[in-house]
Amino acid sequence: MVNDNLKNKKLIALSSENRKFSFSLPLKHTIRIGKREYDVKLKADEKYGTYILWKNRKYPVEIVRSRQNKYEILFNDISYTFTVETPFSLKRKEVLESKRGKTEKEYIRAPMPGKIIDILVREGSEVLRGEAVVILEAMKMRNDILSPVSGTIVKISARPNTNVMKDDLLVEIKI
Amino acid sequence: MKIKKILIANRGEIAVRIMKTARMMRIDTVAIKTAVEPNAMYLDSADVVYDNSEDTAEIPVFLDIDKIIAIAKKTKANAIHPGYGFLAENAYFAQKCIDNKIIFIGPSPGAIYKMGNKTIARRIAQANGIPMAMGSEGNICNEEDAVIIAEKIGYPVIIKAASGGGGRGMRIVRKSEEMEMMFMTASKEAELTFNDPSLFIEKYIENPKHIEFQILGDRKGNVIHLGERECSIQRKHQKLLEEAPSCSLDDKLRKKMGDMAVQIAKAVGYSSAGTVEFLLDSNKNFYFMEMNTRIQVEHPVTEIITGIDLIEQQIRIASDEELKLNQEDIKLNGWAIECRINAENVQAGFAPDPGKIESLNMPTDKYVRVDTGVRAGSMIVTSYDSMIAKLIVKGKDRKEAIKNCKMALDKVWIKGTKTTLPFFRMLIRHQKFLDGTFTTAFIEKDIDKYYNNSEYEEMLAAWLATKLFVEENLNDNSINVDYKNGKEMNPWLLNKRINQF
Repeated sequence: MVNDNLKNKKLIALSSENRKFSFSLPLKHTIRIGKREYDVKLKADEKYGTYILWKNRKYPVEIVRSRQNKYEILFNDISYTFTVETPFSLKRKEVLESKRGKTEKEYIRAPMPGKIIDILVREGSEVLRGEAVVILEAMKMRNDILSPVSGTIVKISARPNTNVMKDDLLVEIKI
Repeated sequence: MKIKKILIANRGEIAVRIMKTARMMRIDTVAIKTAVEPNAMYLDSADVVYDNSEDTAEIPVFLDIDKIIAIAKKTKANAIHPGYGFLAENAYFAQKCIDNKIIFIGPSPGAIYKMGNKTIARRIAQANGIPMAMGSEGNICNEEDAVIIAEKIGYPVIIKAASGGGGRGMRIVRKSEEMEMMFMTASKEAELTFNDPSLFIEKYIENPKHIEFQILGDRKGNVIHLGERECSIQRKHQKLLEEAPSCSLDDKLRKKMGDMAVQIAKAVGYSSAGTVEFLLDSNKNFYFMEMNTRIQVEHPVTEIITGIDLIEQQIRIASDEELKLNQEDIKLNGWAIECRINAENVQAGFAPDPGKIESLNMPTDKYVRVDTGVRAGSMIVTSYDSMIAKLIVKGKDRKEAIKNCKMALDKVWIKGTKTTLPFFRMLIRHQKFLDGTFTTAFIEKDIDKYYNNSEYEEMLAAWLATKLFVEENLNDNSINVDYKNGKEMNPWLLNKRINQF
């Protein structure tokens, strides 16, 4: 894994699945695996756009979203979301989250404009992460809108056979 | 009648594909410009562009029979190619073309109607001794009848819409208690989608392979087949990867299925290119499923292994030319694989990810063919399907085609939307795909994730996120992306920022 330098000058990229990747500052353009350091180069050219050069291979990279310290990175066409924290902000975040307990809400919004075909849950019902909650028809496809979290449905704003715009609220889930 | 000018009643890659052959045959083409895609690439391939972009009707012009006929007349096109989707399998449209003395490049309205109605198609197949999964002889009117028939043929059964296709109005029923609800929802869905609530039932074949035969028939009664395609890699009945030939067929089975496909095409007097679809079970029993009376998305894999231009054949047949090919002339050479690269997010269950294609780089190796209707700057719009490009790769055998496909997939660089590339990169390395034992249940049963990534890839992404954070927040020469406006900029333009680091 990453060389976790014990000097307190470091940053931690925390993945959406709570995996931590620490990098010491100033940020080096190498990553250590086992005993070897490998060069990481961030490059860009006219034809291909941005890419990372790693072990003689080019990987396309892109930022899909960036907001404050939260980044959605597309690396080799696969998306990863990180929040970048200092050791202090990470600790504060962990303390806050343990205090807040299980009262957080998740809002499921329409990922694209389309038509609501079916609603598969009822207010008050329990859902598991990855379970389909709404079927949205868009671009000639029936798309299952999945719950990103496990929890209880508290409010359903979507109505069957109605059109929705991108980012319209569909379902509220209490985690 | 000689075809002089073809109106393409379609858009995207298939419009580009048809015009390519038309140009080779020195036939003029007309494309229709719409308000949704006024700068689309297919418009550049046409000799004449009919501007319909002022039309604000909710129904797309490609689905509007009267408008299409009127445009053909105005532009003096004496033939219409419908492509796939839209009006391609609309018997009424084909008849309207004939009534207006316009050549419909496709089969006769009668053949479209007979094959389009699944109940009639089944009756014809049955009369011709084509093996079929046991099922209801006609349409089922209510769930009580459905239960009686299902008990006779044995669960599981599948309910299908009589006028259906593409997986809509389909339900698998595993026990009688489920029938009432499944029947009702399927009927409702069929009515909504196809304006026809009628349903039929057949035996559901568990984990089959999807094998289809390409047919060519002329208007003099000659019909041949061009071998098979295997399209078992599908998600919700949407094909993702197709190959030709299939590793599940030997010459004997190929001949048997091919002969059956020709027989059913002859039974409806089929002319033009068409596809007869079968399911093949694990004991190599095959069952007729349906016939598609159009050129199909996956036609290029057949073109590659037979060397025959299917669009050219369609045009020649529509001009009343006799087929110059006999069954003996058809030789299958090598192997071809097609990946449908769509603007979809595989990490969100293949949800469409429309948007602007910022850059598009496709491999140019001689073993690669790319059929596309987009380029850098094009929009993938929500009004149509999410296709970006078809990556078609060939090899002397399956092993070489897979090796070439693996290399080609790494050379595809698309920026601006998420794509199905991660799925194909995983699939092409999957043991079940390599050994050919995959079935139509592959996506549902054999994988738990639609993509593969290594721990290092995630770490490199984490490094990049950290790098961006450092550049934005900690350095003196920070490029001034302030928090408030961070959301407003187009994040896909990372390279512009990196040049400033």
